[in-house]
Amino acid sequence: MEVDVAVIGSGPAGLTAAIHARGSGARSVVLLEREEELGGILKQCIHNGFGLEQFKQDYTGPEYAERLIQDLEETDVQCFLNTLVTDLSPDRVITALSPEHGAIEISAGSIVLGMGCRERARGSIGIPGTRPAGIFTAGVAQRFVNIDGYLPGRRIVILGSGDIGLMMARRLTLEGARVIGVYEIMGYPSGLKRNIVQCLDDFDIPLHLSHTATGITGKERVEGVTISKVDSDLRAVKGTEQLITCDTLLLSVGLIPENELSQQAGVEISAATKGPVSTETMATSVPGVYTCGNVATVFDIVDHVAQTGATAGASAARYVGGRLNGDVPHVDIVPGENVRLLFPHRYSFQGDLLLFIRAAEPVEKPVTVEVSPPGSRITRPYARPNEMLRVRIPGAKLAEVRHPLKVSIREK
Amino acid sequence: MTVQKSHFVCVVCPIGCEIDVVHEDSEILSMEGQKCDKSEEYVRQELLEPMRILTTTVRIRGARWPVIPVRTDGPVPKRLFPRLMRQLKRIELQAPVDMLDVVVSDIAGTDANIVATRSMPQER
Repeated sequence: MEVDVAVIGSGPAGLTAAIHARGSGARSVVLLEREEELGGILKQCIHNGFGLEQFKQDYTGPEYAERLIQDLEETDVQCFLNTLVTDLSPDRVITALSPEHGAIEISAGSIVLGMGCRERARGSIGIPGTRPAGIFTAGVAQRFVNIDGYLPGRRIVILGSGDIGLMMARRLTLEGARVIGVYEIMGYPSGLKRNIVQCLDDFDIPLHLSHTATGITGKERVEGVTISKVDSDLRAVKGTEQLITCDTLLLSVGLIPENELSQQAGVEISAATKGPVSTETMATSVPGVYTCGNVATVFDIVDHVAQTGATAGASAARYVGGRLNGDVPHVDIVPGENVRLLFPHRYSFQGDLLLFIRAAEPVEKPVTVEVSPPGSRITRPYARPNEMLRVRIPGAKLAEVRHPLKVSIREK
Repeated sequence: MTVQKSHFVCVVCPIGCEIDVVHEDSEILSMEGQKCDKSEEYVRQELLEPMRILTTTVRIRGARWPVIPVRTDGPVPKRLFPRLMRQLKRIELQAPVDMLDVVVSDIAGTDANIVATRSMPQER
């Protein structure tokens, strides 16, 4: 089949992209989802706090998803469920498999990548020890509890202070499990402050900073986890080991954009963000292929994910309508002082630049975000590695720029 | 009645001000660390009765999934969470359920209802 725009993935980014692609003039839009329902990971995020910015509502994940799905249903976007995309070519031909349609081939005028991210697992951080049952990523445990109705364990240690781990600390406590503690290798938490308060402090669950797991024991099932303090180089300090008896270890140690398909399409991947090198229109390095949400870079909140979905959907529609060129001049956007991560990577002179910035080190004082050229200075009350800063530079200010934009965070 | 010191992290906005409060029971005598006026109301409520939205799941029959997500439709006293959880463990819904359907009304005398946070059609 031939379509104007094909969107891969129906989480908040993909749903929003599909709605906006149709709304921005694409005549035929398809949405491909490998699961049996639309909504992506929102369906298992049953806590509230979603959509505060976008809808001025305090939704739970499933409510947020259902609201987007209702918006989608008012369009004629065609959804393929249970449909796994197995191949994506640089000339935008999608091969997908589904029990209902068999193997299908879709040739798309433009494509939006919305596959989201994956959790880092034990292999990514290399915890020594045995390999028993009872070690889960936090998101897998979330799925077990919130969708499948299973409790994954009774005595639980959580490694890493990512938001999903914090959510699960509260959730498992409510369901009657004992969460012994959350152990974070860094000297600051990686989850949002309000989640530390509402998920840990509210339930007297201790957070141990500068600690990591240095061993796992147990043959069939986890019997204990060894926890050690780490020094300023994040190396375990000998003599600080303590064995904590537990039956479950949850890992909340980071997320990585899921770019298997992007790479098949020949999209250039950034070593810094682990996602496609993107412009402010969410264009990747392959003409007609756009990216959004957590497959682009891992965001903190759903509102930002949806915002990039809206941009990607609109850009994909403009591309297929001949209103957006796939190969336009651009300048790079490069990190300066105290910047760990920047998104997007390039500016291609298509209007305002919305910049997402992650600080390298926390600054609990007013800061200036400096973007130079053009010499814009934006003030923020603080900069924290666990909360992306978002600033908008008007397109008019950037029109004459010919050199890379350097972004720095400085104490005001 | 004794004068006490307490520490709060305000969660009204993402800044998360760290606030030290001197109070006599729920009466605020002085507080410092807040960057705006909204924190005072938050701290007053925290001293009086911490209120939260409860989100959890309940069992459901006849649907694709064995559980359905629910929440309170307004904040309820945090100290009642264990009681609400015990009560919700005992109920089982029957599909179909629509989003925002009231599952339990006025749970544990809190004036809050338990509502479904997604739709779940009946499985054929």
